[in-house]
Amino acid sequence: MRPARDIVPSIGLQPIHWALLALVIAGTVGVPQFRTLANLTNILEQSATLAVLAIGQSFVIAGGMIDLSVGQLVGLVTVVACMGFEAWPGMGWAVVLLSLALAGGVGLVNGELINRLRMPPLILTFGMLSILQGCIFLLTDRSVGTVSPAISFLATGRVGGVPVSLLLVAAVAFVAWFVLERSVFGWHLLAMGNSAESSRRAGLDLRRLTRLAYLASGLCAGIAAMLVAGRLGTGFPNAGNGLELDAIVAVVLGGMPLKGGKVSIAGVLGAVLLLGVLNNLLNLYQVPAFTQILIKGLIVIAAILADRPGRRAQPA
Amino acid sequence: MRLTMPAALAAMTTAAFLSLPAHAEDMDLTKKETYDQIMTWAAEPLDTSKFKKDGDLKIGVSAGYLSNAWINFTGQSIKYEASLHPEIKELKITDAGFNPTKQAADIEDLLTSGVDAILFWPVDEKAILPALQKAHEKGVATINIGYNFMRDPAVTSNAYVNQWDYSEQVATEFAKSLDGKGKVIAMLPIAGSSAAVVQLAVLQDVLKNYPDMELISTEYGDWDRAKAKQLTENLLQRFPEIDGAFSPAGQMSMGIYEAFDEAGRLDELTLSPGDDYNGWTKLVAKEGKWGSVTSGLEVGREAVKQAVKILKGEPTTTAVVVKTRYLNPEEAAKLNEPDRPDDWFKTDLPAEFLPQ
Amino acid sequence: MNAATATFSLSRIPSLDKAAVWIVLALLLVVAGLASDAFFNVKYLANLLRQATPIGIVAVGVTFVMLLRGVDLSVGAIVSMSAVACALIMNGKPENLVPALLATVALGAVIGLVNGLLIAYGRVSSFILTLGSSIAIYGLVQMSTGGTARGVVSPGFREVMNSRVLDNMLPVLVICLAAAVAVGLFLQSRTRFGRHVYLIGASPEAARLAGLPVLRVTVAAYVVSGLFAALGGIALLARTGVSGTNPGEGMEFDVLAAVVLGGTTFAGGRGGVGGTFAGVLVLFIALNLANVAGLPFATQLAIKGFIIIAASAAHSWLGRRGSGRTET
Repeated sequence: MRPARDIVPSIGLQPIHWALLALVIAGTVGVPQFRTLANLTNILEQSATLAVLAIGQSFVIAGGMIDLSVGQLVGLVTVVACMGFEAWPGMGWAVVLLSLALAGGVGLVNGELINRLRMPPLILTFGMLSILQGCIFLLTDRSVGTVSPAISFLATGRVGGVPVSLLLVAAVAFVAWFVLERSVFGWHLLAMGNSAESSRRAGLDLRRLTRLAYLASGLCAGIAAMLVAGRLGTGFPNAGNGLELDAIVAVVLGGMPLKGGKVSIAGVLGAVLLLGVLNNLLNLYQVPAFTQILIKGLIVIAAILADRPGRRAQPA
Repeated sequence: MRLTMPAALAAMTTAAFLSLPAHAEDMDLTKKETYDQIMTWAAEPLDTSKFKKDGDLKIGVSAGYLSNAWINFTGQSIKYEASLHPEIKELKITDAGFNPTKQAADIEDLLTSGVDAILFWPVDEKAILPALQKAHEKGVATINIGYNFMRDPAVTSNAYVNQWDYSEQVATEFAKSLDGKGKVIAMLPIAGSSAAVVQLAVLQDVLKNYPDMELISTEYGDWDRAKAKQLTENLLQRFPEIDGAFSPAGQMSMGIYEAFDEAGRLDELTLSPGDDYNGWTKLVAKEGKWGSVTSGLEVGREAVKQAVKILKGEPTTTAVVVKTRYLNPEEAAKLNEPDRPDDWFKTDLPAEFLPQ
Repeated sequence: MNAATATFSLSRIPSLDKAAVWIVLALLLVVAGLASDAFFNVKYLANLLRQATPIGIVAVGVTFVMLLRGVDLSVGAIVSMSAVACALIMNGKPENLVPALLATVALGAVIGLVNGLLIAYGRVSSFILTLGSSIAIYGLVQMSTGGTARGVVSPGFREVMNSRVLDNMLPVLVICLAAAVAVGLFLQSRTRFGRHVYLIGASPEAARLAGLPVLRVTVAAYVVSGLFAALGGIALLARTGVSGTNPGEGMEFDVLAAVVLGGTTFAGGRGGVGGTFAGVLVLFIALNLANVAGLPFATQLAIKGFIIIAASAAHSWLGRRGSGRTET
């Protein structure tokens, strides 16, 4: 919360990490079942989907954009992939490739349309959300297909006690961290988020940055869809409902303002874990279901107030 | 990353040749034989010995959603029944808010809390199986209270309302009250939901016996009074003649009724029996016709009783089946509690267990 | 939020841009008339308007927030809360009718006030904040009702609201919608609040430097949004009675779509209540046509998506032409 953070972004512990730490300590002290190894690995596994999705969202938010279509994209890819796994049992890898291509393709279309139609990303991806949902229900109105063993291993398997999904998240996070926080592309994307106008004057290719950011968001939705499919074992048409909002909340809690220009993959991961631990503790601590809803809403409000930018932001 | 991901996954395909979790038998919900088969399964004895546990019991409830009155009353019935069994020391209820991934996490959390049995109604019957599989591996009994019968190694037992019988009672009485003729519409729940699939199949099955009845439109009102009203308004524009509406869910019937009323075409309308929704039985009392079929709210309490039997190792059957019955308009009107809200169900719960 | 919306001007709305949604509406009416003879039946149109009333009323309020480049995702939850709370306070008694209506509207305004204060003075993103408050409101409703909508509507309320006047042609609910739109138009063009909203929306920085009360106007806009959402909830209650604890679920997104269709597209200071009203009609007529044509639900969803994108693209294109700016 100190202004220093505005100057030195991303490295070091942020407020969200302290909050996470506090919650974990409270859980460890207060709820005996919480501190078991099995429970902690459960939380990691439960958080994997949101982690990947939030990382994808970080690409667009860093550039001052937003992607509301990722939830339904997860749903569509889950359904398509499960149909594929069932239709071509021996060709799991091809289905995965196809699914990621589909997800990346939708991301590219989003980016391209925003460029060509010069539309606010919020509205374009909101329209896309509806279109994708329509596509899902054209394919099926109930759970379809199955998953390949490899995919269910990816989502629920363990290697030496470590969830495979955790390794996947770590890999995705590392790539995202490198691209966003250590590469020229990331630097340019943040510049665009800070001020599109001056980036353009400085000669940056904004169209290319937009396209690639949405490609990354789409691909992450594709990977998240593999995790959802692996966890559910079937292609459920509503599997992605509302995930886009969860992802956006996680990114913002992670210390990235919606107007762009800042990035912190470590913060986003901290936020995802915080939400996962919170869900787990509320369940273990026997908080009534309806009270849980209220608490989650208040946490979102409190967190964004606590983590607000130091200077006046445009309401948007 | 795009290139390495598939490669890694391809490697895993060969390396991790794990067996798929056993899948539920796909049942054809549109055939009467399926339900006869279910009844046979339900009557089979259940081996409870492996779940037998001495001492205090902990029971978890994983609700796929808690967002409508019927489900809430079921939840309250579960709490009430649990309070009657002193050996049940803890009852934990989680709400997945229609999100199957959250339901999987909820079930994992319930297992972490060390519950002995999990009662559940699924967001989706297939998507919940991997999580139930984990419960099964831990020796935790799982009891389905959802709409569909589930037959799977991971599902220990079902507390079940026979949906074919229920819909058949509604459809048969409906056809009778129309004297077997006329143009009718069907107002069904959420498109693609098993409720909608069954109800439509039953209606079509019953209509085979009545060649003079014609189903002119099938609508999906999502169990929502407002939506049913809007859909009916559109139908009233489209069709100059509608003689009847098949609508097993009372709250949607109320929307249909209002749309006809406001269009000044109420005298045309014959409604099918609804359920024990209080708003609907109010309407039955007012109109003196149409009746109700009870919706099987007892299922929540039966599920708890079944869980206790299983955990005590007492003999029981694979499933407990709750019977629904047709109530003629007079009997249905008696269910009505005029001082209660519309969004309410007739129940024998004591006051402290009513939703508040 | 990005290159496409980063520039703004203080000039008034280009006329072509303003006309766009009405042109679309006119075209749609022609198509509808060709598709169905029944369409220009007064009763049919009145019916359509009556269906659109709750969303239409809510959309009027949200327009002000969106003129300020904000967004209010809590309106769906406020609609639910209002419908449930209003019936609860009525408690089936005629004498409770007026207090219930007043209390409900006040409740909506208070929630709007809280949203507005937090957004204006807390300087946080309205998207996330109103998302959070929508979750919290839903949780509160569920907690306080135990999950069933236990209210009973006062006798007479729904009967009057659902009746028709003028030769049994004009539904009372439609008059309510017209009144809401009229109040919205008045606020927008005849009050200092309205002028300030346009100026601030067009350029927050310039408005601040010019000494406009940016914070107060922002708060007021959210109060207006919360207040109209409560009125929308009452209209929903009137139209369909008590139906569950979450009857407004997802309505915020339909409202967002309608406002955007109407030309208030985050560009700031562009658009307005009139366009929003046309946007609501476009959305409802299009979906009604799809319904009458018997298109499946899936296709209707896709059509909705296309309409939103196409309309917004048209606005942004016309907006650029209209103001003679070249950009990006």
